[in-house]
Amino acid sequence: MSEALVEVANLTRLFDVSKPWLNRVIEGDEKQFLRAVDDVSFEIKKGETFALVGESGSGKSTVAKMVVGLIPPTQGEISIENISMTDPAQVGAMRTLRRRIQMIFQDPFASLNPRWRVDRIVSEPIRAFDLESDDNAIARRVEELLSLVGLSGADGRKFPHEFSGGQRQRICIARALASKPDFIVCDEPTSALDVSVQAQILNLMRDLQAEFGLTYLFISHDLSVVRHMATRVGVMYLGRIVEVADSANLFDTPEHPYTRMLFDAVPDLMMSGRPHQSVEGEIPNPINPPSGCTFHPRCPLANDRCRQEIPQPLTSGASTVTCHAREEGRTA
Amino acid sequence: MSQPILSVRDLVVEFPTRHGILTAVDRISFDIGKGEVLGVVGESGAGKSLTGAAIIGLLEPPGRVAGGEIVFDGKRIDNLDEEQKRSVRGKRIAMIFQDPLTSLNPLYRIGEQLVETILTHLDMSRGEARSRAISLLDEVGIPAPETRIDAYPHQFSGGMRQRVVIALALAGEPDLVIADEPTTALDVSVQAQIIQLLKRLCRERGMAIMLITHDMGVIAETADRVAVLYAGRIAEVGSTRNLVHHPQHPYTFGLMASIPSLDKSSDRLVQIPGSMPRLTEIPPGCAFHPRCSKRFEPCDRTQPSEYETDHSKVACWLFDGGGQ
Repeated sequence: MSEALVEVANLTRLFDVSKPWLNRVIEGDEKQFLRAVDDVSFEIKKGETFALVGESGSGKSTVAKMVVGLIPPTQGEISIENISMTDPAQVGAMRTLRRRIQMIFQDPFASLNPRWRVDRIVSEPIRAFDLESDDNAIARRVEELLSLVGLSGADGRKFPHEFSGGQRQRICIARALASKPDFIVCDEPTSALDVSVQAQILNLMRDLQAEFGLTYLFISHDLSVVRHMATRVGVMYLGRIVEVADSANLFDTPEHPYTRMLFDAVPDLMMSGRPHQSVEGEIPNPINPPSGCTFHPRCPLANDRCRQEIPQPLTSGASTVTCHAREEGRTA
Repeated sequence: MSQPILSVRDLVVEFPTRHGILTAVDRISFDIGKGEVLGVVGESGAGKSLTGAAIIGLLEPPGRVAGGEIVFDGKRIDNLDEEQKRSVRGKRIAMIFQDPLTSLNPLYRIGEQLVETILTHLDMSRGEARSRAISLLDEVGIPAPETRIDAYPHQFSGGMRQRVVIALALAGEPDLVIADEPTTALDVSVQAQIIQLLKRLCRERGMAIMLITHDMGVIAETADRVAVLYAGRIAEVGSTRNLVHHPQHPYTFGLMASIPSLDKSSDRLVQIPGSMPRLTEIPPGCAFHPRCSKRFEPCDRTQPSEYETDHSKVACWLFDGGGQ
């Protein structure tokens, strides 16, 4: 169980956000880059759910897209079962690996082709990977997949617009399962859904994980959803991972000041009267991030070192924290 | 309780379509007291935004108020003509929308937008309006308001923009603010700041807020009382504390239980089967009955009336005759 399925090392992604060439020449501007993901490393063990949590602009979706290979990394290494996703020499091995990686997107209204019937949508991966040859077998498999996610076989003849948001997300899950994957990247799979439907989808995802031994990379901004789903959690801030820990540990004893601030900001649903620290500031512009530790302008523990020097990850036990104050034992 | 600032009785909002009339809001009644925060919670399509739009008179045609009355500060406002409505809207009742980017004009400096709004509602000179705009920006927590007043909306971050929108809503010194998903487009850390701000304004100005949201967490943090909407009807109304800890209606109960908790992890979430019906397919009787695990005889035939319980007012047959 403890074997690593996915290893990500020093992953960095830059996006070119320069003005058009002519403007740059006339105005004498340099090229500008946005560092969406900055030196991110983590590994995902077989059968676990690794969650990346962070606010908008923290780079969590960019990591997800790089892991499935939708966008190439600028630097760094992604390997799945020791097969490099970035090494051109291993392209052949990567092709066979592709079948075993699938993705579920945030918006089930945008990720299904409105002109295709559901059975065609769900059978596309089966045909693409040549998993079944004759049409009857494909039809049987599609029916099986639809019933697996709680839809009926007859739903295959319908179009996506005939379904509600939750049902569409079920179709997306059926499509992801069609190629018999081991690893599914879920990018905010329930953010577009209402809570009662969200509960259905989260339960379904956990049932499927138990049944097929799936490994999830789960991206979300919602801490309570992450707590419910994840075995391990990485907290991202401005393109860097600030803390990685087992879910139970992280939620009981958050170490990084940003993680603490994030937890504090979550509304107190049960009205327990938990005191709130006042939350300071907002995420800075990622095009021009703060020096040193990027969290220092909002951090209650920041000192001169934090303003100048980028902190390095410090591992103790199962958790890794990237913070000068933790390293030096400074606390509030 | 003294006279409520807003009292809605049997409000009906309809949309005439080619296939007949769709009833989006179906005989909703509630009160908001002076200085009170009423949370209106429900899933998408429950009719919460339409209720807000009907109160402030911003229903998009062909939507129309087809019945009931809206009484604001002792006077009916649903039957006013456009001209009279305008004297109420924005001044006495203000609105905060979900997306701060689309509720500000990108071509004008925020100062001009604030001054314009202030001059529309209050009788003062331009210079006075400008200094009032600066003090409003200061009140909503914008640093260095004297210089920021001349910035354009795009120069503000999402949270700061929402503060500007709140300042705009405050411009006419309203008694009631309808806030439609004011924090939904914001990150949690910014959301916490905006919630604090709304609570402070409510306390300091004695202004009432109708807080429309799908997020029970935001309600629990902010609201004094909550109305739970389902398929255009009120399922349950009560104090926030009661509703959170002792939900009575099966829908409220399911809604509360389906929210994952930050304090404890559980293996399975309680799930309500199915999803909210579309407007064209609202079932007879109690609209929730096809998804309800406690349905019995009258549920699929007759709509329940509201019953008072120890904790809240509930529209559910289970409470017919004084208890379960």
